[in-house]
Formats: sequence, C-alpha cells, structure tokens
Amino acid sequence: MSVLAYFLLAAVIIVSVCLLLSRRGGRRDFDWEGIGTGQETSLPGGWDSLASELSARIFDPEDLNFVASEASRQLTRQFRRERTMLALDWLRAVRGQVNHLIRAHLRAARGNAELKPAEEIKLGFEFLVFQLTSGILYLVIWAFGPPRAAKLVGYSLELAGQMRKVTEDILPAGRPVVADLMDSKQEPKS
Amino acid sequence: MHGELKHEDVEAARRDLADRTLAKIRGDFARLIYLASMRDYNTGEYHHEGLACRFSESVAGRAIGSCHHDAFRRLVLYSVKQLVEELELYADSNCTTASELVRVWEKLQPYRIAVPLECGPVVARFFASNIRAALAILQSRQLRARREELSALPSP
Repeated sequence: MSVLAYFLLAAVIIVSVCLLLSRRGGRRDFDWEGIGTGQETSLPGGWDSLASELSARIFDPEDLNFVASEASRQLTRQFRRERTMLALDWLRAVRGQVNHLIRAHLRAARGNAELKPAEEIKLGFEFLVFQLTSGILYLVIWAFGPPRAAKLVGYSLELAGQMRKVTEDILPAGRPVVADLMDSKQEPKS
Repeated sequence: MHGELKHEDVEAARRDLADRTLAKIRGDFARLIYLASMRDYNTGEYHHEGLACRFSESVAGRAIGSCHHDAFRRLVLYSVKQLVEELELYADSNCTTASELVRVWEKLQPYRIAVPLECGPVVARFFASNIRAALAILQSRQLRARREELSALPSP
C-alpha cells in the first residue's frame, strides 16, 4: 500500500512539473533563439547540432570539477547555481521547440486526407513520453544539478529528434507548413 | 541586401580576412574582440575598409559577421579550463598582466558586447557565466602565486 502511495505521489509531482513547464513554455511561446543563433537554426537540422553541443557543455561535469578544484567554495556554489539555472532554461527552450513542432503538426494535420492513424498515435505517445521525461529531467536538474541529469538529457534530445523526424515523415503535405512556420520565426534575424 | 550576395564572394572575403588578418592574431579571444570591434553598435553592421575595397561593403560585412560567429561559437564551446588558458594568452599578447586584465574586465565586462547579435539569451548567459568563472580562477591563481612568492622570501 505504501509503495503505491509513493508511486502516486511521484506521479502527481511529475505531472505537476509537466503542467508548470507547459504553462511557462506557453508563456514564452516558441523560442529558437533560446537555444542557438539565427544563422544556425536557419540550417536544416541546425538546432539539433547546436542544442546537443550546448547541452554537452552545460551538463558536462568537467567545468564544475575544474572550478571546484581551483576556486573558493563560494564561487563554486555560485557557478553551480548558474549552471543549474542555465540547464533549466535550456530545457524550457527545448520543450518550447517540441511544443511548437507538435502545434504546427496538429495545424497541418487538420483536414488532411493522407493522415495515418497508427503513426499519429505513435507520435502522440512519443510526445507524452517526452513530456514525462523532461518533467523528470527538470526535477533531477533542480534537485541534483546538471551533471547528474546528463544521461537523461541525451534520451530527451533523442526523443525530440525522433518526433521531428516522425512529424516530417508521416505528413508530407504538412511539411511545407512546418517549414514555413520555422522560417517565419527565423527570417527577421538574417 | 544579403539575399543578393553570392556565397562564393562571401567565402572569398572570409578566406581573405582569415589569411591576412585573423591568422596573425594570437588566440580566439583576441580574434573575438577584434571582430566585435568592427561592429557598429547602432546598426549591428560590420565595417572593414580594406576588405570592403577588395570586395564590397555588404560582402565584407557578411564575411566579418560570419567570422565573428565562428570565433564566438568556438569560445562558447570551450571548457572553463580552456577559457582560463585563452585569457592568459590574451593578456600576454596584449602586453598586460593577467591581474590587470581581471581587474579591468570585471568592471567593464567587454565580453558582453563581444557576443554576436543573433546569439540567443541562453548561449549569451552561458558564455558570460563561463568567462566570469575563468576570470575568478585567474585571479585566485594570481593571488596564490603572490602568496607563494612572499612566503618564499627569507624572513628578516
């Protein structure tokens, strides 16, 4: 019974974090610039490379270990705090990208005769898993710091990449819509 | 304006800038500061008279912007340890001491305006945070070295 209660509590916490993140993500809307630069995101798949490169740097324990070995405790604490905030902002930006992608996909899917229900269900499931993973990731980063969350970050990015591919593969007619939406967000920067 | 630029022209201008100027500058920090200094703070456009004469104003601007972006991208992906080394190299090549560099940079924070215009806020904050940490480490190294020097002196 107590095990079930713990599971329920954990589920409630994760769902709450997911909801909180979704609301924040909604307020910020979609922000490619939160991750990379206009030039990079205008390239096909550009955000994937910079997002993963930046995540490798943010979540790498090397910097924290180096600062801890060279600087005072106060500076190390401050550096760790800054990295945690950055990691959380990074995660919000990635979620914003995925949410935008899904919204664009839904818009394109409406009234599309070529829809494949099985693929749509698969995409919906992947989206749910991504929301859950990123909710857990948010908690892990907040509680233990970015280095402890490194493996989960890789998994989340992999899921985000998969969803991007699936949205492009299963809805050929929707592709231009998605591309237009992405371009319209990037154009002003060039 | 940029839409009419030929990719080959911009590439040629980039190569020209890299070979004639950037190759002679020691370290990515010095390159970043140099490239950022060619940017007009009001318009965000880059200007380089020599390069504009050889190519055109717009091609030169695009090429400098691209080099600036590359230099920044390299530095942003450096570890804090590498940044400390880069800062030491930068101080050394500018004939100043590391402690003087730390003192001035902590006040002026020139690294904030060396960030490319199209850079996102998370990346800019990540860069600034790393530089601040690298400066603090450089400062603590200086203090440690001075203390060791003092302790090595024979007591009267």
